[in-house]
Amino acid sequence: MLSQSPARLAAWILLSPALLFVAVFFLPPVIALLLESFHVGQTYGLQNYLTFFADDFNREVYWRTLWISLLVTLVSALVCYPAAYAVLKINPRWRGLIIGLIILPLMTSPVARTYTWLVVLGREGIVNKSLVETGLLQEPLRILFTEWAVFIGLLQLMMPLMLLSLVSAMENLPKDVVPAARSLGASEGQVFWRVILPLTREGLVVGGTLVFTGCVTAYVTPALLGGPRVTMLATLLYQKAGVTVDYAAAAVISAVMLLTTLLVNFLLRGRAVKTARAA
Amino acid sequence: MRVWLGWLALVFVLSVGFAQQRTLTVSGFGLNQNLIDKNITRPFEARCNCKIVWEVGNNADRLAKLAARKDNPNVDVALLGDYFAQLAANQGLLERLDTSKLSNLNELYEFAKNPLGGNLAVAFTIYAISIAYRTDKITIPITSWRDLWRPELKGRIALPNITTTQGPPVVWLVNRAFGGTDTDVNPGFERLSALKANVVTYYNQSAQLAGLFAQEEVWAAPVGRFAWGNLLATGKPLAWARPSEGQAGVSNVAVLVKGSRNQELAYQFIDFIISREVQTAQANDLVDSPVNRNVRVAADKAAQLTYGLQQIASLRIVDPDYIVKVRDAWIQRWNREVAR
Repeated sequence: MLSQSPARLAAWILLSPALLFVAVFFLPPVIALLLESFHVGQTYGLQNYLTFFADDFNREVYWRTLWISLLVTLVSALVCYPAAYAVLKINPRWRGLIIGLIILPLMTSPVARTYTWLVVLGREGIVNKSLVETGLLQEPLRILFTEWAVFIGLLQLMMPLMLLSLVSAMENLPKDVVPAARSLGASEGQVFWRVILPLTREGLVVGGTLVFTGCVTAYVTPALLGGPRVTMLATLLYQKAGVTVDYAAAAVISAVMLLTTLLVNFLLRGRAVKTARAA
Repeated sequence: MRVWLGWLALVFVLSVGFAQQRTLTVSGFGLNQNLIDKNITRPFEARCNCKIVWEVGNNADRLAKLAARKDNPNVDVALLGDYFAQLAANQGLLERLDTSKLSNLNELYEFAKNPLGGNLAVAFTIYAISIAYRTDKITIPITSWRDLWRPELKGRIALPNITTTQGPPVVWLVNRAFGGTDTDVNPGFERLSALKANVVTYYNQSAQLAGLFAQEEVWAAPVGRFAWGNLLATGKPLAWARPSEGQAGVSNVAVLVKGSRNQELAYQFIDFIISREVQTAQANDLVDSPVNRNVRVAADKAAQLTYGLQQIASLRIVDPDYIVKVRDAWIQRWNREVAR
């Protein structure tokens, strides 16, 4: 006990700048925003939420945002998991270069990356040109300004976050667990499902949360690649706050975004804890 | 004590210094800003010994900002589309103009002098809204708003989104073209809803539309004449349609923001942008069509502008008051029935 308290004190001292920053600059506006979403005239209530969700257009926007974000999270996990494993297997001399290449797109502005997709996915873009010229298609596909354009744009935007989370989770995998499992007679499949996956689950949770949150809140990608036809929560929020000056609806959308990402994080974390215990 | 006096002196010197370098904050569109800086910002700064700070963005964004800063305005002069200025006036954001302080006002066409009534605004340009289209792809010229419904334009047109400045005037004209009236907009919305198959996307900025033309995504689109220079710069063969139902006319106006702390400069600025010299320079660069009667431009430039009383008189001026009244309902209806 005596030896513990100085350590605890040190921990608090080390945490205090970050805590102070969060307490001063982050919590008050978030609390004010959440309160505003319940503000109806002179009192507080659920009326703003009921009004918002009574509108079938708003519900459609919510479901679209949810399924596109979940799909991007799922696909990026499926694609990045083997890729992260491969990154760790390659010669350490090349690993730095590969990690650098993964990070490189994160250093480019999302606006620039999204504009590139406008050119690539367009009617005269490289995708449609090659599909038509090889005879696979008679007519160019309409990709731009559809939900699929938003999906593709977000997937490319968010994948590095998933990959980096997974790579760092796998780096923490103790070197001898796989040989140990094998020596005890585990098959390849058992090694993966019962040893590697549970031990790297934290990386999936962190990556999944980052990707999902990024997708729900992304503005540039749905605005440029989807347009008004593919309205998402972030673009609807902009329209409510910036165009029609409907702050009640804007506050509701912000609160709904926050609660949805917290819920998804909670669910992911819950599953991770459960399976880790089961293992 | 000495140190303390030193600081006091420094504060005094700095405040005097700041007071001499006066700043005028102008809220503007941002389109062709480099030309606006050449024709307006630099000449005005040289004349007033002050500095102009521009706050740029589309009408809707800037109006929302003005409303948000109502009690502590940072903008002195705002340049807005006429019905956005009307919205601002309705929210009590504008100061009535003392027109005796505008020496150039009498040179303007009559409609430009007091477009919102009550001396709330002065128009500095007017533009037509019609259809720009590719003459190589669309060989039968577009002569009616109804031509946008041609089956061969499937997946080939863009419409201005309802939240843009051109959005509501286009809905208004289309509604008229299909037999609607100001009190019955069902014909317009029904036809626009049926136009979905032809629409690639609903654009939010005219700069975005130039990109869509440049990348061969779009062959025809309703747009304001102010964007014509940028559309021609794409190098595509384009024509400006003259529909039988007419072109809409929308003016851009200058307003004085209520609570502005630089009113004298603000008046000088507004007077400057309606002067013959500025209006001539802006017209020659195809930035803004002139509303000053004394502006003369060469025939080749005039052909690219909304120029002269005869042309202006042929426009169907959209009543700002009407648009303001119906806009919110139209945005809701557009979201549900058209852009979906």
